Amino acid sequence: MTNSPSDLPATDEASVQMDTYAAAVADAVGALSWSTNFATVKVVVAPDEWVNSLRTAKTDLGLVFFSFLSAIHWANDVEVGDPPAETVDERIEVLAAVGDLTDGRLVHFSTALPVDGAALATLTTVYAGANWHEREAAEMFNIDFVGHPQLEKLYLPSEFEGHPLRKSFPLLSREVKPWPGMVDVEGMPDSTEPAEEGDSSDAETLPSGVSTENPGR
Amino acid sequence: MTLEQDALKHFSEVSVALELQTPDMTLNIGPQHPSTHGVLRIVAQVDGERVTDVKPVIGYMHRGYEKIAEVRTYPQITALVNRIDWVSGFANEIPFMAATEKLMDIEVPERARYIRMILTEMARISSHLMFMASYPLELGATTPLMFALRERERVLDLIESVTGGRFHPNFNRIGGVKPNAGAGPSQKKAVQDLPKGFLQAARDAMDELLSTCDQFDELVTGNEIFLARCKGVGIMSAALAADFGVSGPNLRASGVAFDLRTHTDYLPYDQVNFDVVTGTVGDSFDRWQVRLEEIRQAAYIVQQAVDQIPSGPLQAKVPKIIKVPKGEVYVRAENPKGEMGYYIVSEGGQGPYRLKIRSASYSNISVIPQLLEGVLVPDIIAIMGSFDFVLGDVDR
Repeated sequence: MTNSPSDLPATDEASVQMDTYAAAVADAVGALSWSTNFATVKVVVAPDEWVNSLRTAKTDLGLVFFSFLSAIHWANDVEVGDPPAETVDERIEVLAAVGDLTDGRLVHFSTALPVDGAALATLTTVYAGANWHEREAAEMFNIDFVGHPQLEKLYLPSEFEGHPLRKSFPLLSREVKPWPGMVDVEGMPDSTEPAEEGDSSDAETLPSGVSTENPGR
Repeated sequence: MTLEQDALKHFSEVSVALELQTPDMTLNIGPQHPSTHGVLRIVAQVDGERVTDVKPVIGYMHRGYEKIAEVRTYPQITALVNRIDWVSGFANEIPFMAATEKLMDIEVPERARYIRMILTEMARISSHLMFMASYPLELGATTPLMFALRERERVLDLIESVTGGRFHPNFNRIGGVKPNAGAGPSQKKAVQDLPKGFLQAARDAMDELLSTCDQFDELVTGNEIFLARCKGVGIMSAALAADFGVSGPNLRASGVAFDLRTHTDYLPYDQVNFDVVTGTVGDSFDRWQVRLEEIRQAAYIVQQAVDQIPSGPLQAKVPKIIKVPKGEVYVRAENPKGEMGYYIVSEGGQGPYRLKIRSASYSNISVIPQLLEGVLVPDIIAIMGSFDFVLGDVDR
């Protein structure tokens, strides 16, 4: 990527430059792999190397700006939404996005944690701003950030049970109150087309994520 | 004050503190407080007039958008993201649209991109004008509120004339903007584009706005009381800001010339000229100055954009049912409050598998406890107010 925005549309040259950059970052932090899909640079590191690689990124690579930290729960059985298209390795993927403040580069560091007993060393020793982001990820995904100064609930009430952004956590409001869109729903424009395997005609009138076995939700 | 006097004063303070043995007091500001822009609670430990420790308590407005998004389709999420930072609803839609379009590999027509840019800058003006109204009010000046809200009405009227909404336009569509923009119920077929006279009205409004900015300079920026309240107060270093992910005008006030509009191509900012405004020391006054100057720059962008706007379609060809190919993308944009981005994980369905919302105010206020330690109680308001946060943007 360059300073000039007019060079940015994904020309071959720009994507080659981005690949070169991602490879250089991955090399510098000792990453397991890297990718640059859709201009999103992602570098996968081992959980043990998490803090060290981000410290290298901050001190040696100039990635001083802490954008965000969050997680993705990869699960094959999901309570809400659609499951992944193909079978995935069940894991909690933690993402930390850090960038520079000169060229507009942003790198997503990623690491995989086990679903049960997910734990990771805290980033607050490197980026102080990780504090709230880790508290949020901890309450939403049940991740233990080891060494965090104050791993209390951030958004949720302190007595709240469960971890809402886990895929095993149902959307409670839909359990107790029917989907308001259930009234007078019209078929989707293509509902006359033959339904895909496993789809009933009911499924067509339901919003994404509402289960067919229990349409009340 | 001479060194001697200083030492004497310090000595007397210490001896009084020793004599009285005053315990620290816990001061709760909020959750309902006029200077918190929503429901934020600040638990401050104060020793006399000095703040010793500050804990913001957030989450009163947490609406769980990231979870809800997992059971919504992409077009439905547009309505949700409007409500994250409600002071600049239009600007919230842009990075989400850009991210979805990137995954779907859709090229948005140039005219639609220009309309998006004009309305985003108007959203920025309206957001900054809200700050121009509320910040002096928090410091005790009521008149600027009238000036700012008068101008804001003009801008909101323009946004309304195009989108039909003042706060939650819900105007962007994947692949462009709502095709019959500005069409009232009686003229559904007749008008298929920007309402008649919009471009001229926008030019006039920007002229008015620029002269109001000068009035603001005279009325507020040089005001002695205002200066006394915010000069040298709440100084944030560039390194501290970067460490906490502080972005937008707050970061630029600390002297960092970083603006995502010049680094990414989500809107045609490369075809207009504007300055990236920076401050020098990073105090509350710089944060005011940067925003005031950014209103001017936004007005210049709108002026250039209405002159250059090309004709053409408003919508790219998109399928009736939006299904987004498998992939992951993060697109961020320079929103009025700072960096706003969406990390979309798509598994090929009608809705995202996971949507991470990176909102600006969340990171921006996480730095506030660092700045409030050791300040006087009235400065809490002067510092917090200068960060221009919105609780919807914090709690999501």
